[in-house]
Amino acid sequence: MDAPSLSLLPHDWFWLYDIPTHRLAILFVASFVGFYWVGCVFLRPILRQFVKYNAGANDIIGYVLSCFGVFYGLLLGLIAVTAYQNVADAGASVTREAAALSALYEDVSRYPDPYGQNLRWLLRDYTRYVIRYAWPLQRRGIIPQEGTIRVDAFHEELLDFQPGTPAEEILHAEALRQFNHFLEARRTRLFSVTSGLPASMWYVMFLGAILTLAICWLFEMRFVTQLVLGGILAAYLGLMMFLIFDMNQPFRGDVSISPEAFESIFQRMNEE
Amino acid sequence: MKPAVPAIRSRESQSRVTRRRSLGAGAAATLAAARTLAPALFTGCSLGLPARARPIMLGLLHSQTGTLAISETSVRDAEILAIEEINAAGGVLGRPLEFRCPDPKSRSADLFPKRARHLCEEDGVAALFGCWTSTSRKAVIPVCTEFDRLLFYPVQYEGNESASHCIYGGSVPNQQILPAVDWLLSSAGGPRRRIFLVGSDYIFPRTANFVVKKHLAARGIEPVGEAYFPLGHRQFRGVVEMIGASRADAVLSTVNGDSNVALFEEFAAAGIDPEKVPVISTSIGEDELRHLAPREVAGHYAASSYFQSVATDPNRDWVGRFRREFGYDRVTSDPMEAASTLVHAWKAAVERAGSLDTAAVRQALSAGIEVPGPGGPFRIDPKTQHAVKRFRLGRIRPDRQFDIVHESAATIEPDPYPQSAFPGWKCDWTKGGIEQGPEVRIDGDV
Repeated sequence: MDAPSLSLLPHDWFWLYDIPTHRLAILFVASFVGFYWVGCVFLRPILRQFVKYNAGANDIIGYVLSCFGVFYGLLLGLIAVTAYQNVADAGASVTREAAALSALYEDVSRYPDPYGQNLRWLLRDYTRYVIRYAWPLQRRGIIPQEGTIRVDAFHEELLDFQPGTPAEEILHAEALRQFNHFLEARRTRLFSVTSGLPASMWYVMFLGAILTLAICWLFEMRFVTQLVLGGILAAYLGLMMFLIFDMNQPFRGDVSISPEAFESIFQRMNEE
Repeated sequence: MKPAVPAIRSRESQSRVTRRRSLGAGAAATLAAARTLAPALFTGCSLGLPARARPIMLGLLHSQTGTLAISETSVRDAEILAIEEINAAGGVLGRPLEFRCPDPKSRSADLFPKRARHLCEEDGVAALFGCWTSTSRKAVIPVCTEFDRLLFYPVQYEGNESASHCIYGGSVPNQQILPAVDWLLSSAGGPRRRIFLVGSDYIFPRTANFVVKKHLAARGIEPVGEAYFPLGHRQFRGVVEMIGASRADAVLSTVNGDSNVALFEEFAAAGIDPEKVPVISTSIGEDELRHLAPREVAGHYAASSYFQSVATDPNRDWVGRFRREFGYDRVTSDPMEAASTLVHAWKAAVERAGSLDTAAVRQALSAGIEVPGPGGPFRIDPKTQHAVKRFRLGRIRPDRQFDIVHESAATIEPDPYPQSAFPGWKCDWTKGGIEQGPEVRIDGDV
């Protein structure tokens, strides 16, 4: 998983994430099967010229497809695992951030007022911002900027507090430690907003899919059989691509990380 | 061998027929599937992107860090709530509102105009809501004028200003400080004649007290003393001794910010009884009271147009909504009320104008826009572009809220240039703007 600058899928394609998941899956499968079928009609006759007069061509093509399939399958499998790991990591960072935020809120609740009150207000404000404004931006693949201002405001107020007793000193040190945990998790979340597979991986995957289907066009068999068998393979490739595409952006699409952890904290913060 | 040829042709012929049929059937099936599935795939997607009107961008210009953050953050929140309420009701001209909220870091002179420029130039905001100090407002107005955007300013201020590209939602002296002085001079307030003026040393206190002195002079009264201190000043023992020595029977305070903590500590330490020497503050609201010890401030007064304790249904509703959104222990204050109402007034003006064009919005405002607000109906005076406000005097309670002890019988028209202080100066934006009088020199370094 790479930093935003290396991550492409170009942004021009990000509108695809706005399509509901089941429809997107159908779209991917239909596109791959459609491509294969269109190729069967227009490209297969041309490609078949290369193997037309070779006896036992189907065996050779089958062998090549098997070899190719092993490497390509491995590649797809590893990429799918990586994409899943990316989603899992982003989800873990969100959970860590929410947990640190909750602990921090508890810590500053013990501060004397008005410091305690101001700090609680600032954390509530941050949480509300994350739920209402940051998350919708993340869903659009945009790193939210104004949360940083809220974090700075909290940090400034936290540093402004001068502990007056040993108990306050311990509490303050713990709050600062918790704040650093929170910052770390928050940064990880923000990095994950635009993280994704590098463009080169997408090129290899798509080129690999095209080559796989092109090899299938070389087989000598009845046309209808070709459409059905190749169509099934194309559908499976489409599903794999859909799976990787859908997991590529942890905060985008129907099946993405939700702000539920923050929502539950915010609800508790607002309880009298 | 001859008979075999037709047989082969026949198989080829059969094969071609099968292939054609397959192609035909495949194409027909694909078209039928596409026709059936496409609406299901793309309904509501409009090529993946949900149908949504282009949002209108607003700029909220409030310090979120630095000394002014605690007061300004609350004002920002009130504006955000207003924007969310407008969006929930369908937006403006059928378009949703979005906002940018950069942080000018309490740096009134340099970062406020810089952020304002960015909002106008890069973010393309339709209007700006914000500023707190007069310095920040005066720095931002030229930027708004340059980019032809309106600044909606929600804080009470000293007057002596009316800019074409600023809509003033806070009180000016004739709506806040002068009625407070009149109350002190009345039997309800004492009557009291020995008034001491104390303030922070910047534009607002200097100009406001200049207006107060002229107002008192017109009644044959002179303040018994006057003192100014830098913002953030914390040593007030000397001035409290001066107040005691002057035998003042009331103090009018335009001290701002954290200095109030030290000022009221000294008042309490000197045993000044609010019944005998009440302090009327112009810059203390519910937010600022959180920083003051109740036993030190209870019984003193604040002059304002709005208090959270205003006992009306619209106010109770608004306070309830604000607390539901931002926390049960949040308080509302005068600038917050003005800020929220200004956003609604802007919406009303844009909808009346049917356009975001600044000239059209100003025209709509000058035709008289009135919107309901938590503190009562809110109207912008077309001549001065200032809000018509009600005066309220609140006595500080031990629970950090206010008992409203006096309220003007009616709303007060704004007069940014009281003739007692600025003779010859007039303002009427329906007739060309400001008519200048002789130059007025205000005491002090302002």
